[in-house]
Amino acid sequence: MSMQASLPVSLIPGDSLIHRINPLVKIVWVVGYIILAFSTQNIIILYSMALFAFLLAPIAGVTKPLLKGALILVPIASSLLALQIIAPAVEKPWTPVAEIGALTIYGDGLYYGLVLLGRIVASLLIALVMVMTTHPSDLFTSLAKIKVPYTLNFMLAMTMQLIPVFQREVGIILSAQKSRGMKGSGFAAVLPSFVPVFVGAIERVQQLSISLESRGFGSDGVKTSFRQVRTRPSDWVLGILGAIILLGLAVFSITKGLWSLSALIMFPAALVTWIFIIAATVFGIIVFGALALAIFKK
Amino acid sequence: MTTPSSEKSDLAIDVSGARYVYPTGNVVALGGVDLQVEHGEILGIIGQNGSGKTTLTKLFNGLLKPTGGKVVINGVDTDGHTVQQMAAHVGYVFQNPNHQLFARTVQAELEFGPRNIGVPEEEITERVAEAVEFFGLAGVIEEHPYRVSFPIRKLVGIASIVTMRPSILIFDEPSTGQDHQTTKIINDLMRGLREKGTTVVCVSHDMPLLADVVERVVVMKDTQIIADAAPRDVFADKELMARTNLQAPQATDIALQTVVPLGGPTALTPGELADDLVSRLSKASTSQPTR
Amino acid sequence: MPDPVITFDNVTYSYAAAEETALEGISLEINAGEYVAILGLNGAGKTTLGLCVNGVIPTMLGGELEGTVTVDGLNVADYPVREMAKIVGMVFDNPEFQMSQLSAGEEVALGLENAGVPYEDMKRIIPETLALVGLAGFEDRSPLGLSGGQQQRLAIAAVLAMNPKILIMDEPTSNLDPIGKQEVFDMAAKLNREKGMTVIVIEHEVEVMAKYADRVIVLDAGKVVMNGTPQEIFGQVEALAELKLRVPESAAVASLLKAHKLWNSPIPITTEPAVAAINDLLGAKS
Repeated sequence: MSMQASLPVSLIPGDSLIHRINPLVKIVWVVGYIILAFSTQNIIILYSMALFAFLLAPIAGVTKPLLKGALILVPIASSLLALQIIAPAVEKPWTPVAEIGALTIYGDGLYYGLVLLGRIVASLLIALVMVMTTHPSDLFTSLAKIKVPYTLNFMLAMTMQLIPVFQREVGIILSAQKSRGMKGSGFAAVLPSFVPVFVGAIERVQQLSISLESRGFGSDGVKTSFRQVRTRPSDWVLGILGAIILLGLAVFSITKGLWSLSALIMFPAALVTWIFIIAATVFGIIVFGALALAIFKK
Repeated sequence: MTTPSSEKSDLAIDVSGARYVYPTGNVVALGGVDLQVEHGEILGIIGQNGSGKTTLTKLFNGLLKPTGGKVVINGVDTDGHTVQQMAAHVGYVFQNPNHQLFARTVQAELEFGPRNIGVPEEEITERVAEAVEFFGLAGVIEEHPYRVSFPIRKLVGIASIVTMRPSILIFDEPSTGQDHQTTKIINDLMRGLREKGTTVVCVSHDMPLLADVVERVVVMKDTQIIADAAPRDVFADKELMARTNLQAPQATDIALQTVVPLGGPTALTPGELADDLVSRLSKASTSQPTR
Repeated sequence: MPDPVITFDNVTYSYAAAEETALEGISLEINAGEYVAILGLNGAGKTTLGLCVNGVIPTMLGGELEGTVTVDGLNVADYPVREMAKIVGMVFDNPEFQMSQLSAGEEVALGLENAGVPYEDMKRIIPETLALVGLAGFEDRSPLGLSGGQQQRLAIAAVLAMNPKILIMDEPTSNLDPIGKQEVFDMAAKLNREKGMTVIVIEHEVEVMAKYADRVIVLDAGKVVMNGTPQEIFGQVEALAELKLRVPESAAVASLLKAHKLWNSPIPITTEPAVAAINDLLGAKS
């Protein structure tokens, strides 16, 4: 029984500059990005970060997969903006700029909606680029180099491998139980599905541990590694540079009051209103479409 | 005089032009299959992994809906009915019993299926008793399904579908991992089911198992049915067997090289070959079966 | 000339917290370079026997072991499993359950990495081993994307990388389709004939075993009840039937004819001799 081992987002094979960067450096950048993104409310910084991450995609040759992975931003963006514009998540006083029926449109709402969205976009894009250009085995080899314990490393690697396996197993088990007439909803459905998955996992672990033991796994002593990850000077440069820039900016942001530009930017009322209408409509269509699909798929 | 339409609805399985393409894209798992099976037939489906045989059987109970063509089971079009609704007509015994068994006792396991499809309680008790007797599960009826040995668990898995008394019963690789003993129980079961009028579909690599029991063999390769004939004809076709990388039972191979050129039968089992040889070689021709 | 590489000396074993013994009074010898088939019903003790050879019993699983198992001159109970892994490789019945790494190359490397084999050597050994099992160039492939037969061959490669003298395969083909089965059996035969490996196969596929094995050992309820050449063992059709074990169909046919006093030659255990003998009989008749 074979299957493709793939998570929803995974490595896109390639040999670009980005692919060749040491995985630890990529972790530094992703973490730095997230810290900076959540430390600032400056939309110029946030969207520059997002743009920068986006521009890495063609260099790595992952533009299409990136756009696909980023599709999730559409429902997020539309719901976020729509809600923020009519109910900003900041301290009052708010600045009303228009009214649609019973709803008041707030300019601050748009700004903060853009801030929240910008944080998500920047973090998501950089994470996607990094995941798509890193072979998981290289990641684990790098972690081992910084003395992450062998066993922990191994468990993480196994978990990654097992996620698609368990997805498949759950699918099979649900099919089997449905074939016995099990109505698949609510609490009654959980037990017939849970036990077989659990048993399957135990059997797998049993046989795997004997198999591993039979190959000498878990012995003490020096272990070598087949997978070799180079750390080149450029990796050090990128890593240190990344840490300094991103964390530096984060620190400045915090000390300078989040660098919010909300006081400086005044969105025209019409703009805010239109953005609200569009966002709400898009979100409405998505929700309606999802409901319709769920009902008609029966 | 039956009209064509009522004749058609007499079929247990009626597949016309069935295709299946995976939703993720362009992998064709089944490429245009026609199959008609009458009630009470025992049908074997053989082929390598990837030939489409599992996809085909999943179309039978509605786990998959055809992306092209039509699948009608017991007169019911699978497209437009849920798997749970089809469960009243079709029982599907999965290859690995661990994928089905979850209850606290073997008894509860046997009751699960019929209860789901709305069989009245008294009848459930009766059916469970019958299954326990047939499969020899009296000693383990109160045991947790995962406490019994794997071969017994496999029988419990089969029994839990048999208690649903479907008109069509599909077995997916019933003899995998089984020894000779339990394979024989499964053989007897399939014959017994057929006697009761149940249609049996058996997907298997185990040629001797099929040879012993089925009356019709469907051979699949590369998402198509490439042969649909009696076991004798299929196993005797050396070119077909070679093309599909399958191997006829040893007794059949031997028969093809010994008695068949002399007009003898393409034996499917050692017993059948021995019978023929005995009648050929005996001076006193008694027709006592050598089974 | 017999050169025992595995010796069981009156071995009795029960699993921890088990009431019955899994193995009782097992004494047998397996010689270097032999291809041995081990038959028996589920629960007869076949897997247990295998695990005694590579040291998982008693070192990993505990339990009570009496008697001695000697492999390549070493008393198995005295050595950690990782040492025995250099002499005995073991492959199990579910190909997927033996996979743990993200690429085939790393799967083969696992044993080597744990043994501290230098990278330079691994660079050479891994492609060689993959080529040996017919998976040349598969280093970066994900094990989960392989077919069952390929996975099983990968599992074999993973143990072969340590260059063991003995390969034990516990029902290696029970989860494979016919093509996969063929690949694995061909592999076992090749390793035995071309590399001189001692191969022990625990299986139900008696017709294949009749063809390849040098020796057949039959277990029943934890005891060795038969031990001989395939011809000796598979010829005893009634005895095997009583043990509820399958016999090659050629032997079954001959045995039925023998019951009718129509068969006087040895019982054939593979197709060719059966065909020859039957045609002789038919020819003599006419």
